[in-house]
Amino acid sequence: MTLQHYLVISAILFTLGIFAVLTRRNAISILMGIELILNSCNLNFAAFSRFMTPPEDISGQIIAIFGIVLAAAEAAVFLAIILAIYREFGSIRPDEVDTLKG
Amino acid sequence: MIVPLISIILLCPLAAFAIFGLLGLANRRFPRQDYLSTVAMLAALVCSFLLLREVVPNPEAHTVNWISLGGVTFSMGFYLDSVTVIMLIVVTLVSSLVHIFSMGYMHGDPRYPRFFAYLSLFSFSMLFLVVSDNLLGIYIGWELVGLCSYLLIGFWFEKDSAANACKKAFLTTRVGDVGMFIGMMMLFTKFQTLSLYGEGGIFALAANLNTGDMVWLSIAGILIFCGAIGKSAQMPLHTWLPDAMEGPTPVSALIHAATMVAAGVYLTARMFPILTETSSLVIAYVGGITALVAATIAIVRFDIKRVLAYSTISQLGYMMLAIGAGSYVAGLFHLTTHAFFKALLFLGSGSVIHAFHAMHAHGHDDEHAHAHEHGDHDAHGHEHGEDSDSGHILGSEIPADQDMRNMGGLRHKMPITFVTMLIATLSISGVPFIFSGFWSKDAILGGVLGRAMEWNSVHHYILFIMALSAAGITAFYMFRLIFMTFFGEPRNQEMHDMAHESPKSMTVPLLILAVLSLPVVNILWFNEAYVKPPPQPHLHAPQHAYISPDSNNTVGKGYTVSLFGVSEAVAAEEEGGHGTDGTHADDGHHGHHGPAHTIAMVLSICVAGLGIFLSWLFYHRRTLSAESVATTFRPIHNLFWCKYYFDEFYDGVLVALTVWKARLFARFDGSVVDGIVNGVGVVTRDILAAFTGAFDNRIVDGLVNSVAQVTWAVGGRIRRIQTGAIQTYLFVVLAGIVLLILIFRAL
Repeated sequence: MTLQHYLVISAILFTLGIFAVLTRRNAISILMGIELILNSCNLNFAAFSRFMTPPEDISGQIIAIFGIVLAAAEAAVFLAIILAIYREFGSIRPDEVDTLKG
Repeated sequence: MIVPLISIILLCPLAAFAIFGLLGLANRRFPRQDYLSTVAMLAALVCSFLLLREVVPNPEAHTVNWISLGGVTFSMGFYLDSVTVIMLIVVTLVSSLVHIFSMGYMHGDPRYPRFFAYLSLFSFSMLFLVVSDNLLGIYIGWELVGLCSYLLIGFWFEKDSAANACKKAFLTTRVGDVGMFIGMMMLFTKFQTLSLYGEGGIFALAANLNTGDMVWLSIAGILIFCGAIGKSAQMPLHTWLPDAMEGPTPVSALIHAATMVAAGVYLTARMFPILTETSSLVIAYVGGITALVAATIAIVRFDIKRVLAYSTISQLGYMMLAIGAGSYVAGLFHLTTHAFFKALLFLGSGSVIHAFHAMHAHGHDDEHAHAHEHGDHDAHGHEHGEDSDSGHILGSEIPADQDMRNMGGLRHKMPITFVTMLIATLSISGVPFIFSGFWSKDAILGGVLGRAMEWNSVHHYILFIMALSAAGITAFYMFRLIFMTFFGEPRNQEMHDMAHESPKSMTVPLLILAVLSLPVVNILWFNEAYVKPPPQPHLHAPQHAYISPDSNNTVGKGYTVSLFGVSEAVAAEEEGGHGTDGTHADDGHHGHHGPAHTIAMVLSICVAGLGIFLSWLFYHRRTLSAESVATTFRPIHNLFWCKYYFDEFYDGVLVALTVWKARLFARFDGSVVDGIVNGVGVVTRDILAAFTGAFDNRIVDGLVNSVAQVTWAVGGRIRRIQTGAIQTYLFVVLAGIVLLILIFRAL
């Protein structure tokens, strides 16, 4: 397993995430895409930390753990917002929530 | 003592007027304005008499600087010499008597207090004019008396004739005043001062002018004399004075006989030192012609006041003639005597009119004593026995109680009025020795004849003949007045029955003036040390002036030594030329003027006697018929009756010309000026405004609107980008990033 394998996996994950964010009509699905993008980043951090730095330096992997924690917190906030939006508009489709449109 | 006395003299009448004016502002009235004004005038009279003792023969001037403009300072001040003091006494005395007379005459008039206030203002103005030492002060007083004359002629302004007369008087005198002002300005440009006396005064400076300036000085003198022509009603500006008789009779006596009209003579006398040969001759001729012409007009008048008005014009002409002929003292002497006897004649006629007033007041209008003056004419007032065809040319209908054809036989009804008026008439006619008018008139005649003989001048012989004829005619028409009014049978029995002697307030002034018509005033004038004529440095006898330019020059230089210190020879000649005229009239005649005065005296007695005799034949004995003479000499009679057509000339030529010119200008105004203005308006509105309007609408608005439209359109397009769909935005962001990456890769 070389660094390239990890990076390719990460790129596939990132692209899938982008695709989900751009194409999904459901806010939950979009959240899932975002989670994929975040995890691809985490994977990059861990991969670079493993292959590009000395073994005793694990700061990259620690940042990946921080990223997972952050993703959990972000998911909680996101879901709370989705819930509030659903109560307000009766829908969680982003294209129907357009009251700020100019 | 002099300054306080003059201040009192000036301030008393002014205060009387000011009290009326200030209370008038508050709509209040001093309870007895008549007493206030009269007392103020009497105080001024007393002060004038005190001044008589104060003033020594040496003139005194008291001046203060008044205004400084640039480098020029105008001063105000008094100049007191014997002439000033005599004028002060004449003015205050006549004014006081007229005040007293007016208390009776004006009694019951609705504007009684105002009349006295005006009299006070007039007295102040006249006194101010008299004491001023500079032309500016004289001019101020001059205009003020003109204003008062205007106010008092138009005192009964309800009458159209009075309202017109006061306008006429004001405007006619203004014509002369313009000339006077130009003359003043000429002197001012030359000398940079308007002060007359002292080192830097006009007289001192004018004495140093050389002969080259004589034409200029003559013109200035004649222009200033123009003011006197207007004010003293000389030909050809005399027409206002007869019309001024529309004013109350005391006003006629005070302003239009004794004082204001004499101001012109006074001014001319004041200007005596700058008179040149030419200007003197002009003055003399104007005076002489006026004296003769006015006297002939007076012959045929029937209105008692108009007779006196023309008589006044004639006598003023006499005074001008005297001053023009160099008889300074005689002219002023006649001014004094005339002031008294003419005031007496006017007040006497006022007394007669008043006697008829009362009749009217009882007969027609109990409340209004002056009802007739306001146009309530009786039918018999219009009975013109003759010349009904020219009656309309006369212009004014004679009020019944001023028409001498309604009078007659009044001497029994009004003895005091009769006797006093007779004295005045004898005085003005020049009846010898016991009447003042004889002495003053003889002084003038003697002076003119003396000048004629001395210079062997044809001009002065002509002037003498004019003056002599005027004297004869004067005697004739004055006795015509007396005979028609006081002698014979009453012509109008109804009016005669109602006539009565006037109250004491009116007869007492008459008696005092009668005393003054006797030669008591002569004392002042016959005192050589008291009145001295000023020298005339630019007036030479013709033989000096005409022999050759060289001798003329030397003479000119001889005179330029100084104004008041003329060389011996000149002084002697001046004495000969002017001094003897009036001053020596009493104590015989010396020098080469003796014959002149004797001849003049004999001739004047003859013509006066002739005039009186003819008048007696015509109007008392009725041996001769005035009507038949009038018919025989109809053209001449018409000329006199129509006053030489002066009014017609002015109406027909000057007034018509002015009106025509006014119409022309009105038409010019209406067509050309209005046309230009309207044309400019039309051009502005229809062309310029349309153009700028279009520019505004199309270009300015177009720019603004198109900017807005472009913005609107662009905004409308760009708006679409803002879909509100987050995913679109994200897609754009992603596409941007991809694009950037591609760009950076390409680089």
